[in-house]
Amino acid sequence: MTKILAAEDDKLISGSLCDALKSAGYEPTPAYDGEEAVAKAKEIKPDLILLDIMMPKLDGISVLWELKADPNTAKIPVIVLTNIGDVETISKIVEAGAVDYLLKSDQSVDDIIQKVKDVLARNVQLT
Amino acid sequence: MLINILLVIDFIMLAVVVSAYIYASRRERKYLRSEADQSLELQQKVYQAQVLKEISERIGYSLNTGKIVDIITSSLGNLLDYDTVAYMVLQEDGKVVFKCQVENSVNHEFIEQVKEKMLMSYEAILNKKISTAGLDESVTGNILNDNSKFRVTSFFNLPVVISRKLVGLINVASHEPGRYGEEQASILYAITNQAATAVSKLQEVLESEKGKLAAVIYSLADGVITVDLNYQLTVYNPVIKNILEIAHNKPLTMFDIVDALAGKIDLRTKIEQSIAENKTLNVPDVILKDKALELTISPVKDSGGTVIAATVVFHDITTEKTLEKTRQEFTAMMVHELRAPLTAVRWSSESLIKNLAANTGVDPAKVKDTVVTIETASNNMLELVNDLLDVAKIEAGKFELNIQDYDLVELINEQAKVFRPQAEVKHLAINVITPPKYMLKFDRVRVGQVLGNLLSNAIKYTDSGQIEVNLVPNAQEKTVAIGVKDSGIGVSHEDLSSLFSKFKQLKTGDHARKGTGLGLVVSRGIVEAHGGRIWAESAGENLGTTFNFSLPII
Repeated sequence: MTKILAAEDDKLISGSLCDALKSAGYEPTPAYDGEEAVAKAKEIKPDLILLDIMMPKLDGISVLWELKADPNTAKIPVIVLTNIGDVETISKIVEAGAVDYLLKSDQSVDDIIQKVKDVLARNVQLT
Repeated sequence: MLINILLVIDFIMLAVVVSAYIYASRRERKYLRSEADQSLELQQKVYQAQVLKEISERIGYSLNTGKIVDIITSSLGNLLDYDTVAYMVLQEDGKVVFKCQVENSVNHEFIEQVKEKMLMSYEAILNKKISTAGLDESVTGNILNDNSKFRVTSFFNLPVVISRKLVGLINVASHEPGRYGEEQASILYAITNQAATAVSKLQEVLESEKGKLAAVIYSLADGVITVDLNYQLTVYNPVIKNILEIAHNKPLTMFDIVDALAGKIDLRTKIEQSIAENKTLNVPDVILKDKALELTISPVKDSGGTVIAATVVFHDITTEKTLEKTRQEFTAMMVHELRAPLTAVRWSSESLIKNLAANTGVDPAKVKDTVVTIETASNNMLELVNDLLDVAKIEAGKFELNIQDYDLVELINEQAKVFRPQAEVKHLAINVITPPKYMLKFDRVRVGQVLGNLLSNAIKYTDSGQIEVNLVPNAQEKTVAIGVKDSGIGVSHEDLSSLFSKFKQLKTGDHARKGTGLGLVVSRGIVEAHGGRIWAESAGENLGTTFNFSLPII
């Protein structure tokens, strides 16, 4: 089954996200802070990571850097889900190597699931 | 320098006119009082009065040196007979200015003689040699005629002394021998003497005005410089060195200023542009190391409207910029905090609708979970919005209290009861140590809100141990203090005082413990509205925190 790591510190959002991923037929693993996200990514080697930016212990951008620095996790596609929409953050996200970023409150869960599907399909083609 | 000299001459000339007029009218009055005046003196005075009246009328409000010299010299013809009237000034830079008004056609030699006699006299007074190199000479009036055989046979030089300093020499010359006696000299002497006194006074006024202006510029919080057309620094105040962080004690030069701004703004080009286009330029964001400056460059014009210099005002806007940045960060954070519960509500309701629509036997437990998520998220958002509204009310000074007699201990116990279930999730005990009853005048709802905020924070920031609430009356200070003590993560010393300011919490990186920090801002507002005080104590990080607030005993 396709494994998806959902790094999101807000338990309510994480809950709804994981529910939606499960319903769509994926196997979600939640991570509630940045350090946990890095550790779980290395441990379970997910097919895709949904990453929040504002998280305790380690912010999403630092998580991205750590993932990209490790050859074992560098190739995992990362979609950033954030509620910070400022240009500076977005350019940092793109620079750090995320495949896409979505503004959480602007998206329905279906939109996110669709994005996950698209990215996974593209990734299969590439590899 | 030349401008200064010319200005002084302007004042001398104006003063000559004005004071001479005053002198004349004084003399006139004196004459009217004294019938015993000699008829010759009377004639002189009438002449003088007429001439001076004419001069003052013709000059009007002009301060143009050339024009004033012209008017005076041409008017002197009515008072004295002469072929030439000349003026000589030795400038501070050693240059000699010589102006001669020709009344009757004379030859070049005549002018040279006048010049020579004036120089000799000048040298005698100063007791030193005067170099005529670079002499600034101008001859006006009648055309010079070298066929004229006129020679200077009678003349007199009159020194103009202002504030005990020789500023120049006036010369009247004629080809007629014995033209000038004591009489004529005394007329001119009286005029110049009066003029000198008046000019001294004018200079005092000028100096005092200059002093006042300098004091104003000196005490300005903004840096100010003035640059002349040769790009030389003519005026600056000491603040400019602080603003541009120029450390040395040498006199400031334009080079220092341009150097300090290198790479940030091309000041020279801006100054040149301001002068060339004759308009004020504003450069709003000049960012130096840790400072933000706003520069205003304006042309300086003389009374004739000609641009003679430019001033640059350096306004330090660092505080405004920092405030603006903090405000932006606050807004961004608020938006983020509001979006989080909205996202949860949106996603939860979407999945609920989907599940219900699928009609494939919905799990009631699952539905309940989703609805609880929606409820929690809505409550979070409501709390946030209420805090924001309270902060707005506090800031607007529209915070109203409903103060009545209540039992404070009862309120503490009530709040402890509300928060115990939350504390128990983290295995924390809430201990209340108070007298059995304590009656006080306060707003029950609002003080309850403060207690709730403090308890909720204590639970949030404590992972193990306990929370203690106590109440200590202070009869001497007529206050009662309520303390909420936890064994949590503590607060560093430098953060203690800023805990209650609007933007603080948002700047700390730890978002594990969700919260905007607005609760403490609201709590402070409530306590202060009661006339009380709120403060935090902590031995340091991981050593627990005690939040205290006091209420007055009324």
